[in-house]
Amino acid sequence: MAKINLKLLKKEAQKEIKKTRDLKGLNEVFNKYLGKKGELSLILRSLKKLPKLRRAKIGSEVNELKDFLKIKFEQKAEEIKEKIKQKIEEKEWIDITAPGRKPALGHLHPLTLVKRKVEEIFQSMGFTVIEGPEIETEWYNFDALNIPKDHPARDILSLGKTLYLKAGGLMRSHTSSVQIRYMEKNNPPFRIVVPGRIFRQESTDSSHEINFYQLEGLMVDKNISVANFKAIIEEFFRRFFGKDTKIRLRPSYFPFVEPGLEVDLICLSCQGKGCSVCSQTGWLEMLGAGMVHPNVFKSAGYNPKFWQGFAFGMGLDRLTMMKYKINDIRLFYSGDLRFLNQF
Amino acid sequence: MVFSYNWLQSFFKKRLPNPQKLAELLTMHSFEVSEVKKIGKDWILDIDVLPNRASDCFSHLGIAREISAITGLSYQNPSLIIREDKELKTKDFVSVEVKSRQACPRYTARVITEVKVGFSPKWIRERLQICGLRPINNVVDIANYVMLETGQPLHAFDLEKLESTNPKSEIQNPKQISNPKPQIKKIIVRFAKEGEKIVTLDEEKYDLEKNILVIADTKKPIAIAGIKGGLSAKIDLKTKVVVLESANFNSRVIRRGSKSIDLKTDASWRFEHGLDPNLTELAINRAAYLIQEITGGRVALGLVDVYPQKVLPKQIKLDLNYAKSLLGIEIPKTEILKILKKLEFKIAGGRPLQSAGGDPLQIEVQVPTFRLDISLPEDLIEEIGRIYGYQKIPARFPLALLQPPKRNLDIFWEDRAKDILKEIGFSEVYNYSFISEKGREIFQYKNTELVEIVNPISSDFQYLRPSLIPNLLKNIEKNQRNFGEIKIFELGKIFKKDCKEKRALSGVITGEAFYELKGVVDLLLNKLGISNIWYDEYQPTPEESKFSLWHPKKCAEIKVNHEEIGFLGEISPRILDNLKIGTKVTVFDIDFEKLSKLASEEHEYQPISRFPSAIRDLAILVPWETRIEEVLNEIETAGGLLIRDIDLFDIYEGEELPAGKKSLAFHIIYQAQDRTLTSEEINLLQKKIISVLEKNSGWEVRK
Repeated sequence: MAKINLKLLKKEAQKEIKKTRDLKGLNEVFNKYLGKKGELSLILRSLKKLPKLRRAKIGSEVNELKDFLKIKFEQKAEEIKEKIKQKIEEKEWIDITAPGRKPALGHLHPLTLVKRKVEEIFQSMGFTVIEGPEIETEWYNFDALNIPKDHPARDILSLGKTLYLKAGGLMRSHTSSVQIRYMEKNNPPFRIVVPGRIFRQESTDSSHEINFYQLEGLMVDKNISVANFKAIIEEFFRRFFGKDTKIRLRPSYFPFVEPGLEVDLICLSCQGKGCSVCSQTGWLEMLGAGMVHPNVFKSAGYNPKFWQGFAFGMGLDRLTMMKYKINDIRLFYSGDLRFLNQF
Repeated sequence: MVFSYNWLQSFFKKRLPNPQKLAELLTMHSFEVSEVKKIGKDWILDIDVLPNRASDCFSHLGIAREISAITGLSYQNPSLIIREDKELKTKDFVSVEVKSRQACPRYTARVITEVKVGFSPKWIRERLQICGLRPINNVVDIANYVMLETGQPLHAFDLEKLESTNPKSEIQNPKQISNPKPQIKKIIVRFAKEGEKIVTLDEEKYDLEKNILVIADTKKPIAIAGIKGGLSAKIDLKTKVVVLESANFNSRVIRRGSKSIDLKTDASWRFEHGLDPNLTELAINRAAYLIQEITGGRVALGLVDVYPQKVLPKQIKLDLNYAKSLLGIEIPKTEILKILKKLEFKIAGGRPLQSAGGDPLQIEVQVPTFRLDISLPEDLIEEIGRIYGYQKIPARFPLALLQPPKRNLDIFWEDRAKDILKEIGFSEVYNYSFISEKGREIFQYKNTELVEIVNPISSDFQYLRPSLIPNLLKNIEKNQRNFGEIKIFELGKIFKKDCKEKRALSGVITGEAFYELKGVVDLLLNKLGISNIWYDEYQPTPEESKFSLWHPKKCAEIKVNHEEIGFLGEISPRILDNLKIGTKVTVFDIDFEKLSKLASEEHEYQPISRFPSAIRDLAILVPWETRIEEVLNEIETAGGLLIRDIDLFDIYEGEELPAGKKSLAFHIIYQAQDRTLTSEEINLLQKKIISVLEKNSGWEVRK
């Protein structure tokens, strides 16, 4: 029998492992040494003929070598796999500057976005959001709000530009119509805001529409004051525009409030210095407001001696135009996706 | 209204703040000044006088009073010292009869003789021009000037052009020939008679209706009261004797009259807002004074004054604590009294009422009659607040009960539905609440089912929209040039006859997208917590079958339980043609009121089975018209609880198949909650399903 030179075998096997470049080659080498018919198996099989003592000694040496080589094969296999991965990765280069593929998303209308934000701010200050009908009676839209028939305000304020229905009734010209509807069914104290669509008989241009959105606010309690209104509305603007803003109140006239107020917001573009956005005045006219007129409380069946409150109405379209710097109100109702897809 | 800065200055001895500063003060305390402009040596202020203050502030005097209250500077009333001529008595020239006290609460007249009509002096002409009025002659200009100054419209007639009461009086009194005693002319304030006409100063002809108030002589109308003078008694260069009219007319009468003949003038505008009857006297005297000074005329003695019911000042009790509570700031009492006095309010009774602690809590205020806008304590509080300055009121949060706001479910479900559609890739549009006459024709809506507008701005906005679909289709038409696939939706009010309004939710996809949109509706409803959704054949009403919005064969009713909540289908090609839409359009249209009632936030988690599922495929040949739902139902019933899901993965119709057949292929997913299903069990079930399916004639499971 041939002399068993395990040392030489070990050396050769290691050499061959080292030389192999791919997994297929490695497998061949593996079979040559550790396969069923491999060198080490042959040696083990040949041991049968040897004396017991010697057989045990060589056997354990062969097994040791087997274990040793197995580890070597595994290490080499890892090494090769790693190289393959590296090669693949190198080949798989992508151009990260190519444009991304955007999933087709839908878009909410900017007025929806602003309406939600406004509702959220007022709700956080304890105001409940209420709605009302778009078709109204003269009573809720005018008479109950201290605007009797033949009152100049019915013509002179833009409230006069009202759309009437052939079947009777009218399209509400302001959300103030919901004031009485709400007060008839609820008792003070309360705080509400009323967002909604309103209608005017108006030729359309970049700042006028035949229908648009308003938000009415109404807070009634025992001691509500102009000072309270000022705090609430200032807080609203701060939160809405996300920065410290300034407002000013000046006299105005709406038949359903007394005193009547106009609220100006300091121009967001120039901080009051005067620019083209605010026509050099430094201020932007934002909303009409005032303390609820006693006659309005009477219309609602309240005793005006017991209750005080403030009411305000602001245009949501205008607020949205300011927020997104939109210069034409008609875009809102155009259905133009080139506009809507930007929100 | 446009005001002259120099004119305002003329009421004050001290200098006014500069025009810009003055404009700012007026804006913050009285009325917004929309423009300040230098013209020559003067400045104009365009002041947006609030409509309730027209009675006193459509005049330089009124604005001067405001300036005085704001700045604390004293102002002076214009001069009106008349030297009445004792030889001439007004009542010998003219008498006035007012037929309707209600329509004309006061009528004052004066007569000025030996008037020389000509150009007015430069300063009058300049002031008129700066305020936008055209100078005519000295008499007319003075009337206009006094109107701009005091707010009281005046009118001047040529006395000699009026019909006389007694035409024979001249002859009866021969002594008077050298110094002829004038005839007494009569001015009558009455409503127009049927068929009466008048030619106005600008030579326009008006047919007068019976509700129009006129100024007449004994024969005919010589002016439309409070609106415009007539040509017949016009002041011209030959005029010698002038009758000045300074009257008060009922605002509603003038408003109605001005509307019915469609004529608005500086005078009608002022009367419409209401004026103080006590103002007529001041104005007529001022005008007589100026005519006397400027034209050298002689003012006859006495004022003809028909004023049956004198208007007296109102008294208002003002609780100072209420003022403090309403404004949210305590203004010192001395300050309050000072403000009220500057505005010509009087504190009546000398001493304010005392409270228990000796503090005066209530004052009694007398309101000058020119303040028609003031009748309540709140009105006085506004005066105090605005003159004191709203900017001095601090911002103070209200002290109120902590009332958590109530949730608005209507809005909640709207927001939810919008979010779901947005997530699916739909964009929200807002359309007009109106449809046009043309739209009505295209969609063949009957007049009787629509709500029609009395006064639309144009026929584009003639009717309230009875559905969201017409305007959504318009959106498609407009967007088709820029976009390939369009997916849009709208949630808004629609209107049906009897003025019923309700919310609708409609969505549109371009293309043949019935199944895609059906999937959208399923998803939308599922996400809103609605499960028992099914689709029924569209059952057109007899009317609809003649003409329908929908493609008759590609439309379904959307049902939840037994209720129809909307429609899903393709739009009729005829309509698309009419609207020039070049692609097919699929639409869903849901009654949102019904939807939000069905919607629910209840949602229960279904445990995930720990046991593996198994998939078996099944392909079946069925007649072409067989509904997939029928096949699915059969499989489900036969398979029972162990079927977790059935997934239709192929529908095939083709040449290889027998004519009139289609092939449907399903994945059937079996799974139990409590055990691993054995293949024997599954095979048994699958066999059962096959045998059940094959009981239907013409159904053949492909093996």
